[in-house]
Amino acid sequence: MKIKAVDLTRTYRVGPSKITAVDKVDFEVNKATLTAIVGPSGSGKSTLLNLLGLNDYPTSGKIFIDNTDTSLLSGRKRRKIRLFRMGFVFQTFNLLPTLTALENVELPMSLAGKSQKEQREKAVRLLENVGLGDRLYHRPKELSIGEMQRVAIARALANDSEVIIADEPTGELDSKTAKEIIGLLFDINRERKTTVIIATHDEKIVEVADTLYTLIDGKLRLEH
Amino acid sequence: MRYTTVIKEMNVLFSGQVMVVSEKAIVIQAIPIAGGLFQESLAEDIKENIKEVEKAVPVLFMTPIRFEEMIQLVPVNFSMGIPVEDWQLIIGPTPLKGGVGHFPTNESNHEVVIGASLADQYNWTVGKEIMVNGHKLNVTGVLDTKLALLNRCILMPLRLAQEIYSKSRSVNIISVKPVQGCSQEELADAIEQQVEYVNALTEDERNDMIQPVLAQVETWNISIQTVIFIMSLILVMTVTIMSISERRRDFATLDAIGAPLSYVFRLVILETALIGVLGGILGIAFGSLAALVLSSLYTNIPLAQFFPSIFEIVPPIYMLEIFLSVVVVCCVGGIIPAIDATRMRIAEVLKAEY
Repeated sequence: MKIKAVDLTRTYRVGPSKITAVDKVDFEVNKATLTAIVGPSGSGKSTLLNLLGLNDYPTSGKIFIDNTDTSLLSGRKRRKIRLFRMGFVFQTFNLLPTLTALENVELPMSLAGKSQKEQREKAVRLLENVGLGDRLYHRPKELSIGEMQRVAIARALANDSEVIIADEPTGELDSKTAKEIIGLLFDINRERKTTVIIATHDEKIVEVADTLYTLIDGKLRLEH
Repeated sequence: MRYTTVIKEMNVLFSGQVMVVSEKAIVIQAIPIAGGLFQESLAEDIKENIKEVEKAVPVLFMTPIRFEEMIQLVPVNFSMGIPVEDWQLIIGPTPLKGGVGHFPTNESNHEVVIGASLADQYNWTVGKEIMVNGHKLNVTGVLDTKLALLNRCILMPLRLAQEIYSKSRSVNIISVKPVQGCSQEELADAIEQQVEYVNALTEDERNDMIQPVLAQVETWNISIQTVIFIMSLILVMTVTIMSISERRRDFATLDAIGAPLSYVFRLVILETALIGVLGGILGIAFGSLAALVLSSLYTNIPLAQFFPSIFEIVPPIYMLEIFLSVVVVCCVGGIIPAIDATRMRIAEVLKAEY
């Protein structure tokens, strides 16, 4: 999946003042690359990822996915793209607390209308791939935070997403677990040819990223 | 429900007959619940002077409020004094339970038959001596009937009833059977022309008398149900909105991973419907139990005796109506929260959290 943003701006109104979280950003991500966006807290990383992930609408500017102008897409079509072509990994994992690890991974497949058998087989395989073959029936509160993030990554891969958008995936993790998670995302990018976009503070991701951007006060700059 | 059943049964007891009561009596379907005594000899006068009359039976119908030294909040026990030779006209072919015992005779001055519910409640059996209004009476039989009125009744010869209630030669009902070919209306008109101080009520008139009361009860029921419906709706809506609000991150996550709006909507409605199903079942169970307990408290009839008649107190159709209403209330109450849940966006939720 190729994602391109042109002159992208997102502003918020907070009381009487206007905040520009993303300011005239031009951005391009090519297929099967690992792109890192770094920047301090409040620099607009999450806002940019929400825009790229079609979870939010820009105030101005456009986002193209495989040359299709997403501003012309209906809410239903945007939702379909998120379901079938994108996977999301959040800083706080956002697993559904009442579902087991297996059910959390099955959920996107269930929404995509896959058979129960297919869901189960694939979810087990994905959880085994992220090293959680023995934690299938544990609920999120019974898992460590590292394990929860692995479940979230498995969920992001459930519908064979072409792109994974990870917002501070190591933000809540200790350095050892963070390293494991980065390794996992790197492996997914290299082995599955999945495009990965990561917003992070983590130096280790910076080292392995194909493309690095910095975002400060909503302004994006290409580093390499 | 039980009282409306009893009220409706009153016409079963006096089916096909014109009921003569005093103009001054307060009556429910021709059963005088207060005032309105007249001389027993009026029955004989009616029989002799009105050609449309085949039979006229004087009855003393009493609703004792003090019984076995217990004060009843509502009258649930009745005494009926009837001339022995005319019993069949009033209670029809009602047999005695197990064929044991006998109906009191004309000579008897202390024998009575009783309803099965009374017998069960006080453990009265044939041959047992009981106290009614300070008089010792002998139980000579237990009525085998399904009529609630007769089940709570002490039947005795008219003379005995007049004696123990100190109503010498007085009665408060005359049950009049028309001759073949004469309508109840014709007979009633003839009686009222002949006797100035009475009302002669046909079966239809008796039903018409109670209809406004039943209609009023129905109106009250509908009003109360409407208020409860609206309050429940608001309550379900509020609770569901709070529940959705606590799980806004979950719903926003569902939206982020591409769940269709219809899926989120159905999820919330299904949840409230399930709450409705559970609430309905529990509500019916506890509500029915509460109805039995209240009936027992108000009538002094032991709770156990109400269990066999639970479907009379809360009929199955009412249970079904209540169950469906609760499920519908919950589903309708879930609509606004469900719409709210479909509007949760991950960008807004995360922005609010950070």
